[in-house]
Amino acid sequence: MSAITLRVNGKPIALDVDPSTPLLWVLRDHLGMTGTKYGCGIAECGACTVHVNGEAVRSCQLPIEYVAGAEVVTIEGLSENGDHVLQKLWVEMNVPQCGYCQTGILMATAAMLAHVKKPTDKDIDTYITNICRCGTYPRVRAAIHRATDTPGT
Amino acid sequence: MEQVKINRRTFLVTATAFAGGMSLSLAAPAARAASISGEPWLSNAGGVEFSPWIAIAPDDTVIIRVATPEIGNGTVTQTPMNVTEELACDWSKVRVEFASPRRDYLENQVYSKAGWMPFFAGHATDSDRMKIALQIGASARERLKAAAAHQWNVQVADIEARNSVLTHVPTGRKLRYGEVAAKAATIQLKAEPTLKPQSEWTFLGKASPAKLNLPEIVRGSAVYGLDVRLPGMVYAALLQSPVQGGRLKSHDPGAVLKMPGVRAVVVVDPSKTKGIPASDKANYKLYYGLAETAVQSAVAVIADHYWQAKKALDALPVVWEPGPGADWKSSEQIYDAAMAVLDKPATKVLHTAGDVNAVTDPPTLDLRYLTPYCDSAPLEPLNGTAVVTPDKVEVWHPAQDPQQAWWVAVDETGLAPDKVYFHQTYVGGAFGRRVLANDVRMVVAVAKEYPGVPVHVIWSREEMTRQGRYRTLIATRFQAHLDGQGMPQVWKAQACLTGPIMVAASFADSPYVVGGAIPNVQIGTSDLPMHILTGAYRGPWYNSFVFMVETFIDECALTAKADPLAYRLKLLANWDPAWSKCLQVAADKAGWGKPLPRGQGQGIAVAAWPTAGLRQTGTIICAVATVEVSPDGVLKVKSIDVAFDCGRVANRDAVAAQLEGGAIHSLNMSLNEEITVRNGAVVEGNFDQYPMLRMGDIPPRITIHFDALSDHDRFGIVGEAPIGPIGPAVGNAIFQATGKRMRTTPFRKHDLTWT
Ligand code: FES
Ligand code: FES
Repeated sequence: MSAITLRVNGKPIALDVDPSTPLLWVLRDHLGMTGTKYGCGIAECGACTVHVNGEAVRSCQLPIEYVAGAEVVTIEGLSENGDHVLQKLWVEMNVPQCGYCQTGILMATAAMLAHVKKPTDKDIDTYITNICRCGTYPRVRAAIHRATDTPGT
Repeated sequence: MEQVKINRRTFLVTATAFAGGMSLSLAAPAARAASISGEPWLSNAGGVEFSPWIAIAPDDTVIIRVATPEIGNGTVTQTPMNVTEELACDWSKVRVEFASPRRDYLENQVYSKAGWMPFFAGHATDSDRMKIALQIGASARERLKAAAAHQWNVQVADIEARNSVLTHVPTGRKLRYGEVAAKAATIQLKAEPTLKPQSEWTFLGKASPAKLNLPEIVRGSAVYGLDVRLPGMVYAALLQSPVQGGRLKSHDPGAVLKMPGVRAVVVVDPSKTKGIPASDKANYKLYYGLAETAVQSAVAVIADHYWQAKKALDALPVVWEPGPGADWKSSEQIYDAAMAVLDKPATKVLHTAGDVNAVTDPPTLDLRYLTPYCDSAPLEPLNGTAVVTPDKVEVWHPAQDPQQAWWVAVDETGLAPDKVYFHQTYVGGAFGRRVLANDVRMVVAVAKEYPGVPVHVIWSREEMTRQGRYRTLIATRFQAHLDGQGMPQVWKAQACLTGPIMVAASFADSPYVVGGAIPNVQIGTSDLPMHILTGAYRGPWYNSFVFMVETFIDECALTAKADPLAYRLKLLANWDPAWSKCLQVAADKAGWGKPLPRGQGQGIAVAAWPTAGLRQTGTIICAVATVEVSPDGVLKVKSIDVAFDCGRVANRDAVAAQLEGGAIHSLNMSLNEEITVRNGAVVEGNFDQYPMLRMGDIPPRITIHFDALSDHDRFGIVGEAPIGPIGPAVGNAIFQATGKRMRTTPFRKHDLTWT
C-alpha cells in the first residue's frame, strides 16, 4: 500500500489505506469526520454526499484511489462556523427532524446552487434525490426557494 | 407555599450527592437561544441541583435533563419549553442534557416514578409528561422565590419571578436566579405549587422556537450512535442467521483472520445471555423478556476499521442451520396461510355488541384485506458501542427507550446494575425500531466476546433490513349486512395476526363500533405463528387497521350508493363531534365533491391515535387525498389535506412538521413498502428493493389545516396519528379514479391501468 494524497476541506491529507476503501469510511473512520453519514452504502440515499472537485458525490461508492489528488469538501467544511446561508435557513425554518439525512441534503443542495442559481421545482427534484425517512421534503424545498428567492409551487 | 422551611437534611443530601456542583462554572457562555451539545449525554454542566431534573448555575444557566430521547420529534426542545413556562427563566439560559437511566435505577427511580415511562420515546411530549415538566419548573421557581424572600426577609407573595430575575415588587430590589440558586436548592416546599392556568401562559403556544439541536445537526456535529468515536475503538461488522431463529452451524475464521486490520471473528450465542442479577430483578420489568428482544445467533468480524471488518465478513465462509422458518418458501405461501386462517372462526373475541347472528341472510359484503410485513427503516442503521470489562460495562447508544436499553445491557452481561453505564446519543430516526433494545443487546453480546476494548458494532443496511422486528403482517376478513338505508346492521370482523399485538388500535375500539352506530358486532382474532420477528412500527397495528377499516367503510358507502363523506358523518353522528369536524374541515379544504375529470379521484379517511374508542383523547385526524391515474396506470398523488384535533397545540410549527412527515411516511408505507420472504429469509436488503419516496415523488401540496382544533386542553400527541388515514384516503381515491379497489398494500404492486 502506498500513500494516497488528497485535500479535505482545504487541508492536505496523506493516507495509507486499502485503495478500495470508500471515501465515506475514510472520512468517518480514518479522519474522524462523522458529519458525512452512512445510510445505505449503495449510492441510494445520499446521506454520504460530499463535494469532490465541486460536484456532489455519494462517497459510499467512491473508492479512495479514485479521489487521489482531488479536492474534497464535507459538511464540516461547508462553512467556517456553520453559517452557510443554507445552514442558517435550515435552522430557522425547522427543516430537520431526526437530522440524519440533512448533512447529505445540505451538501447536495449547495452543489446544486453552484450550477443553478435560481432552481425551479423541477431542478430541485432532479438534483436532490436524497432519502429522508422523516419526510422533511416539503421543508427542504421551501428552504431552497427561500435561499434562492425563487417561487415554489 | 408562603411558608417555607430550610431543611437541613435536604441540604446535606444535595451537598453530598452533587459535591462540587456549586463551585463548578460553565464551560460555554450562554448563547442567545437555549442550547444542547453535540454530545448530549456529557454531564459536565455543573450547577446546583434542585432535583435530578434541573440544576441552576451561579451564572443563571439552567440545566434541564430530559429523559425522553430525541428521535426527531423535538423532545429536547419541547420538554425544556414546558419547564421554562413555569420556571419563568430566560430561554437563552437553558441548557439541555439527557437524564441517566442508571441514575434512575440507583436513586430509587428518581425519573421514572414521575409518571408513565418517561424514557420511552413514544408519546414524547404528551400532556401527562407536560404536566410533570411544568411542575418541575413551578417547583424550582417557588424555591427560588423562597430563597430570595429569606435573603431579603420579606413575604414570598411580594416577589415576582420573570426572565431569570427575582424582583421584590414593593421595593424594586432584584436578584438573579443564579445568585440564590444555592440557597434555593436547600429549600423544601411544604406543598407543590399549583400550575398557572393555560390562559396565563406566555411562552407555550406563543412561540415556535427552532429546535435546539438543529445547529449541531446542520454542522454535522450532532453525535448519533454511529458517530461515537472512542480511543482505541474497534469496529464490528455483523451477520445474523438469515432465517430468523436459525443457528450458526459452522464458519471458518481462518479464511479471513489474515486479512488487513482483522482482529477477531466472534460468535454470538443466545445461550450466553447472563440475565439480570436475581436481587435486582424486582425493580424494573419493562418488556425485555420478550423473544423479540433476545439476541439472535450471529457472527461478527472485528477489525481496526469498519470497511476492513465488512470486507472480511463478506469473505467469511458461514453455514447456517436455518431451522423451521425455512419451510416458508414464499410470501405468497404466508399470505395464503393467513387467508386460510380467516376461513375458520376467530379463536379470540375482542369485542361484541348485539347479536351478529340476528340476520340470517348472507352478508352484503364479505371482503378480505392484507397488510404485509414492513420495516421501520430509520435512516441511521442499527448500531451501538460498548466496552465490557469484568467489573464495568459502558454503552453509547441511539436508544428509543434508554431505560429499556440500559436494563437490557444489564441483562446481557449479568453484572450488578451499578456497574453498567449508559450514554444516550442522538438518534437517526427510530419509528419503533429501536424500542425493544434487541440492538443494544447484540452490541453488548459482541463486545463481551472482545472485552476490554470499545467495540463499535454496525449493521449494514442490508443486515438491518433483513433482521427487522417488523410491522406485524395482518390479514382481515370483514363481513357486513347493510340495512335498507345501506347502513351496516351487522359487522363481523376477524384479524389473522402473525405476531403479538398489544392493542387492536382502531379495530376493536373503532368509534363505528363503540359509538353504537353498528348495532351488531363481533370482532375477533386468530393467530398464525411465524418465525419472523415483529415489533413496533410508527402507530403500531393502527397503521394496518385504519387502512383496512377505512377502506371497508368506503366499500360499504359505495355499496349503499352513498357519498363516502356523508356516510361517515352519519355513522359518527352520535360520537365525539371532533371526528365530524375533522372530516368536514378536510373535505371543505380539499374541495370535496367537485366534479373531477376521468382518471382523477378523491378519497377520504378518518382515525385517531392512540385511542379511537374514547372521546376527546389523543389526535383525531382526517385526510383527503386527490389523485390522478394515467390510463397506463401511473399514479400521481396531487394533494393531501389533513385536518386534525389534538385539543390544543403548544408549538404550532413543530406540530405541522410532525404531521407533514407522518403523512409522507404513511404515503410511503402504503405505496411502496413490503418485506417479502423466500425460504424463510427476508428478501429485501436495501433501498433499491425497499423503495422510498423522494423529493420528486412528494405530492405538490400537503396542507395541514389547524381549523378543526377543538381547544380541549389535552395537547394530544401528533407524531403517529397521520400514519393511519393517508394510505386509505389515497386507496379510496384510486378507486374513484380507476374503479380498482386497493385491499392490500403496497399499491405499487397493483395494476392501476384503466380504459
Ligand atoms: S450511504 Fe451513500 S448513498 Fe446512502
Ligand atoms: S430528518 Fe430524519 S431522515 Fe431526514
